[in-house]
Amino acid sequence: MTLHAVLIVAALMFCIGLFGVLTRRSLVSVVLSVELMANAANINLVAFSRFGNHPWGQAMALFAIALTVAEVVVGLALVILIARTHGSTDADVPSALKG
Amino acid sequence: MSAALLLALPIAMFALLAVCWPLRHTGRFAGMLSAAVAVACFGIAVALFASGRSELYEYPWLVRSGHVIASVGWRLDPTSASMLIVVTAVAACVQIYSLGYLSHEPPKDLGRYFAWQSLFIFAMVGLVVAPNLLQLVGCWELVGLCSYLLIGYWWRKPSAGKAAVKAVWVTRFADIGLMTGIVVLYGATGGFAWDHVLAPQVATAVAALLFVGVMGKSAQMPLHVWLPDAMEGPTPVSALLHAATMVAAGVYLVVRAWPIFHAAPDVLVVMSWVGGVTAFTAACIALVQTDIKKVLAYSTCSQLGYMIAGLGSGEMLGGYLHLTTHAFFKALLFLAAGSVIHATGTNDIREMGGLWRKAPWTAGLFGAGTLALAGIPGFAGFFSKDLLLEELFEAGRYGPLVLCLAGAGLTAFYMTRVMCLVFSGEQKERVHHAHESPFVMLAPMLFLSVPAVAAGWFAGPFAERLGLEYHFSVTPVGGIATIFALGGVGLGVARYGIGQLTWLAWPAAATFLASAPVDRLWAAAWRQGLLPFARAAGWFDRYVVDGLINLSGWVALEGGERLRLLQTGKVRDYVYAAVVGVVLLAAWGAMQ
Repeated sequence: MTLHAVLIVAALMFCIGLFGVLTRRSLVSVVLSVELMANAANINLVAFSRFGNHPWGQAMALFAIALTVAEVVVGLALVILIARTHGSTDADVPSALKG
Repeated sequence: MSAALLLALPIAMFALLAVCWPLRHTGRFAGMLSAAVAVACFGIAVALFASGRSELYEYPWLVRSGHVIASVGWRLDPTSASMLIVVTAVAACVQIYSLGYLSHEPPKDLGRYFAWQSLFIFAMVGLVVAPNLLQLVGCWELVGLCSYLLIGYWWRKPSAGKAAVKAVWVTRFADIGLMTGIVVLYGATGGFAWDHVLAPQVATAVAALLFVGVMGKSAQMPLHVWLPDAMEGPTPVSALLHAATMVAAGVYLVVRAWPIFHAAPDVLVVMSWVGGVTAFTAACIALVQTDIKKVLAYSTCSQLGYMIAGLGSGEMLGGYLHLTTHAFFKALLFLAAGSVIHATGTNDIREMGGLWRKAPWTAGLFGAGTLALAGIPGFAGFFSKDLLLEELFEAGRYGPLVLCLAGAGLTAFYMTRVMCLVFSGEQKERVHHAHESPFVMLAPMLFLSVPAVAAGWFAGPFAERLGLEYHFSVTPVGGIATIFALGGVGLGVARYGIGQLTWLAWPAAATFLASAPVDRLWAAAWRQGLLPFARAAGWFDRYVVDGLINLSGWVALEGGERLRLLQTGKVRDYVYAAVVGVVLLAAWGAMQ
């Protein structure tokens, strides 16, 4: 297993996540996709830590996971709020920012 | 006691009347209060003159980095102290007289009238005691404002409103010269003082420009057109502003800025000619006027012409002395004319006649003023006019001298004409119901008649106080002037009193000289020149200056309108934008 292979997996995961964010209409799927992108970054951190023989990357990844949890909580709370006010979790329904 | 009190009292009175409207609306009481303040001012002025004190106080008004650009304050010296007496004496008399003359006015209007009268005293005192040209010009504009307000006192009458506006137009036009002169003076000396030594060219430029302003304010040909129209105001206003004090402000400016004018001999020559022409032409026009106030108005133009001509001789005393004596006897004449109008209810001297039986006091006082104005020996006007003509003779200004001498004869003639038409002869219909004016009107006239008759006898001490010399002496010029004056009176009595010499009818020639052509010229210049210019300036302002501002507003609005289309409100579009931005940033970073 080389660093290259791991980085490619992480890049693929990031792209899948980005694709999900850009294409999915359901807000829950969008939050899931954002999770995917965040974890791709975590894989990168762990990979550099493992192949670079330095523990800081792993520590960083742990912090990032903890923060991602908080982010997901906030994100899902927003989704619930939107679902309550608009009666749907479709990302295209809220359009108050339309000029 | 100081000159500051003379400034503080009237402005406090004005402020009180302006702010405290219940007091103003009492009318008569407000007038009495205002008149009391004016009398107090007169007392202070006399005390200041008697004490012979000199005071100079300058408060730095505009200061830039420690350098005083302009200051305000007061300068009390013999010149300003004597002028203060003239101003406050006439103002006090006029205010007391107004209580009687305007007694039938609505109280509200009367309160307004006295508020402006108080403001005028403040402005005029400020002008007289001004320590530099800047304050003088500021107060100059303030008396102009009072003139506008008081001419338009009966503003419901269209002619009064028009006359007020005309006075502003003409004097403002002349003030362009005054302002430019002051700017040139500031550029040359870095200050507004008039006692700097100036280079001859600078002195000539400044004096010439200042003189343009003087011509407007002191109603010199051809800028005299506003003064006869200003007679639309109440007669006491004409006596105070348009005979005794405000129109003399121009002459006073020359007296004050004498070092500048004295250093500009070319301007002095022009001044004596302008003054001479005005003295003669205005006297000609006065011959054919039928409105008693218009006669006096043109007479004022003419007498101001004498003062300017006298100053143009290069000697200050004659012109200044004539200013003071003229202020007294012309104010007296105007007040007496007001008394005549009050008695008969008309301004037209053709409808009067035989009034002396009905109003003997008015007749006597008008007669005293007439004798003083005509320059009959012994009366005030004689001494000052004599000195002035003598100065012209000694300076070799023969052209203006001849004009002034001819004017002296005409003055005596037209004043006799008015005397005869109004007071002698048989009583016309209007006069049957005429009555003598009340004491409140006669008393100020009686007071003014004292200096109008006797002021000339004090010319010697007066000159001494100013640091000049005056000795009365019989001279050929004075003799000729006296003969002309007596001849004018004699011819006037023969023509209008007895009814002989009817060929002295002053037909076409005099009417041609009447103000109408000059008036029409200015009206045309105003209509053809100034109004189109104002219209063009208005167009430029509306479409170019405002247009640029409106354009910037339009660009912002339209730009916003276009840009708002970018805001779709869809979350994914914002994410796309963020992704594209990141990709572009990455590409930019890769290219570095």
